[in-house]
Amino acid sequence: MSAMRVDAKVVMLGKESVGKTSLVERYVHHRFLVGPYQNTIGAAFVAKPIQVGEKVITLGIWDTAGSERYEAMSRIYYRGARAAIVCYDLTDSSSFQRARFWVKELQNCEEHCKIYLCGTKNDLVEADRSVRQIDYHDAQDFAEEIGAQHFETSSKTGINVDELFQKIAEDYNSTAFQYMTAEETGVDLGLKKDSYFYSCCHNN
Amino acid sequence: MDGGPQKPAVGWENGMLAPVDRLRTERADSPVPGLVEGTEPGAGQQSAMFVHAQSFEDLTAEAEEDVEREAELDESGEPSEDLKVLVGEETIEKQHNDDIPPERGTKEEDVSSEAWRSHRKHVFVLSEAGKPIYTRYGTEEALSSTMGVMMALVSFVEAEKNIIRSIHADGCKVVFLAKSPLVLVGVSRTCQSDKELLRELQYIYYQIVSLLTLTQLNHIFQHKQNYDLRRLLAGSEYLTDNLLHRLDRDPGLLLSAVTCLPLASSARDVVSASLQAAKAKNLVFSILLAGDRLVTLVRKKDQFLHHIDLHLVFNLVGSSSSSREGEGWTPICLPKFNTAGFFHAHISYLEPASELCLILVSTDREDFFNMSDCKQRFLERLSKRSAYQAMKEALKCPSYSVEQVGIPELRHFLYKSKSSGLYTSPEFPAIYQSDEEQERMMGLYQDLHSHLHHPTRPLRSFYRCSETENLLAWVTSGFELYLCFSPLGTKALAHSAVNKLLKWIRKEEDRLFILSPLTY
Ligand SMILES: Nc1nc2c(ncn2[C@@H]2O[C@H](COP(=O)(O)OP(=O)(O)OP(=O)(O)O)[C@@H](O)[C@H]2O)c(=O)[nH]1
Ligand SMILES: [Mg+2]
Repeated sequence: MSAMRVDAKVVMLGKESVGKTSLVERYVHHRFLVGPYQNTIGAAFVAKPIQVGEKVITLGIWDTAGSERYEAMSRIYYRGARAAIVCYDLTDSSSFQRARFWVKELQNCEEHCKIYLCGTKNDLVEADRSVRQIDYHDAQDFAEEIGAQHFETSSKTGINVDELFQKIAEDYNSTAFQYMTAEETGVDLGLKKDSYFYSCCHNN
Repeated sequence: MDGGPQKPAVGWENGMLAPVDRLRTERADSPVPGLVEGTEPGAGQQSAMFVHAQSFEDLTAEAEEDVEREAELDESGEPSEDLKVLVGEETIEKQHNDDIPPERGTKEEDVSSEAWRSHRKHVFVLSEAGKPIYTRYGTEEALSSTMGVMMALVSFVEAEKNIIRSIHADGCKVVFLAKSPLVLVGVSRTCQSDKELLRELQYIYYQIVSLLTLTQLNHIFQHKQNYDLRRLLAGSEYLTDNLLHRLDRDPGLLLSAVTCLPLASSARDVVSASLQAAKAKNLVFSILLAGDRLVTLVRKKDQFLHHIDLHLVFNLVGSSSSSREGEGWTPICLPKFNTAGFFHAHISYLEPASELCLILVSTDREDFFNMSDCKQRFLERLSKRSAYQAMKEALKCPSYSVEQVGIPELRHFLYKSKSSGLYTSPEFPAIYQSDEEQERMMGLYQDLHSHLHHPTRPLRSFYRCSETENLLAWVTSGFELYLCFSPLGTKALAHSAVNKLLKWIRKEEDRLFILSPLTY
């Protein structure tokens, strides 16, 4: 096994049980786990290469826990992120309030991070329109206001999931292309280079 | 306790100049192995891995100090009237649980039902203001008036400058543990002693502290006595549920010890050395697990892990069924180490389909990529060596059958080496395969355990016959041993089995224990 190089840091944010972990599971492992829901404890990281044109870009995805318990810790997960997928549950209006909170937080602390507003569990509203609590156009308006992309996804059916991540990778690629200077942007997992992060260097 | 203060472990490092090889032979030849702590089978050759673990006393002593003044309330006392609510002589007042949204699917239980009341063991956690924080069965909302009663009881007695410790009524025990700012209550129909029940409540207390730190808990309640802690604990209930399940099932929690994956010491030593080499500045503990079994643990010099903290880590890892392909990064407080702050644990599986889970505990929350790098270095180093294959082979038989010991009528045993804090035990034989039988078996062991650790009349050995099995428990300063024989066994047979078993464990100790723990 060799260390994997990560090009772009992507962070999943949103209220608990909106479906962040399911979204990552669907995208990375092409599956939807049924059975009792388990809250994420802390956060989970996974690296996933994705093809953009002729290039391969590796996304380093941070799936954070929605529980308020970890709120104070959240900075370490979104700091330096190139993209944030801010999730809300289409069937739960309180989760949209929480999404607004995260958007504000990102706007204040991480201005270079692109925001992707993501309404989850689309299959539920497809099956029964009456369970929808967040109007598509309201969310769309909000997205335009904050300059974000907007998706409605289902991790159960897989709808729009690949499209979401593909868009993130393409956006990253085009901005990276713009900024292509001598500066290297990646974080290499095998080589610690963000040295202000790591005050020590060890060798063996 | 058996005969005064415990002597420190015999120092293999200090004073003993004999090379390790010679020590091994001497140890093996010893006619009565293990009567002295540090020489018993399974004792490590260097310093122990854990905080010195006499540990059962260690664990409960704290609770006993809290209870300097005690109020023994019996059935005639006033408060037990109220407690009928818990004990179940009368119907619980009708709860308006119709309009309460079921929060947790599995907990949708009618708290006024017979089924709810007949659970063997209830556990409740509440704040000092009487707000519900956790219930094992049912929802906290539905139980808020019951919890109110409990809190009324606690404060009623406290007002009299006493502390409620336990109430016994009608085959039911109610145990209280006040750990400011939390109050824990256990209601049990089992025959466990108060002390055992308190020990379990302590574990639950530590579980909650491990998620929040005690500093944060105190801070919250100082600012707002009335705070609803469930907000912060949301999503962690399953950890507490699982820990309670473990307390009913896992001998390690009873013995204050952990068990190891049986593995040839040559292979284990290579694994340990590879972990030792993959060190980093802020790395404090490297723990490799195979399911619930320890493969090895490497620690920073002079830093010890307490077995309770280790069990909390086991519980955290074992409770999460999530993807084995990613890497977890989570704050965790190890309350026996320090209740004030968080460590940060990097949790990952060595291979996607593997049971081998590596936990790297760092003091720095920014350390994720450093830890990730440590894991890579560990894997790179280890995968080149044959020990890796040997370890994967060993996973296929993580236990052994009692027949291998060759003692007639012996069905099962637990053996704990006190100085190493490790225990070994064969798999349950066919007749104890069902969940109920295993829990019954654990109940028997708990009973033996409480006789050996009785707060005022501890026994050194204890023999007990029943229709279904004969049991022997024996404790020395070096080990604790619990044996389960078929009802055909005799007391003489049981006693002669002890020596035979100790010899067998001595012979197998290289494989069953971690004899040479490493540090970095
Ligand atoms: N029908 C449907 N259910 C979903 C979908 N996505 C997630 N769920 C369900 O919603 C629950 C929560 O999903 P998770 O992905 O674990 O939620 P989370 O956002 O990671 O939650 P935390 O880790 O607590 O922050 C689970 O029971 C999922 O099965 C979806 O697209 N459709
Ligand atoms: Mg999650």
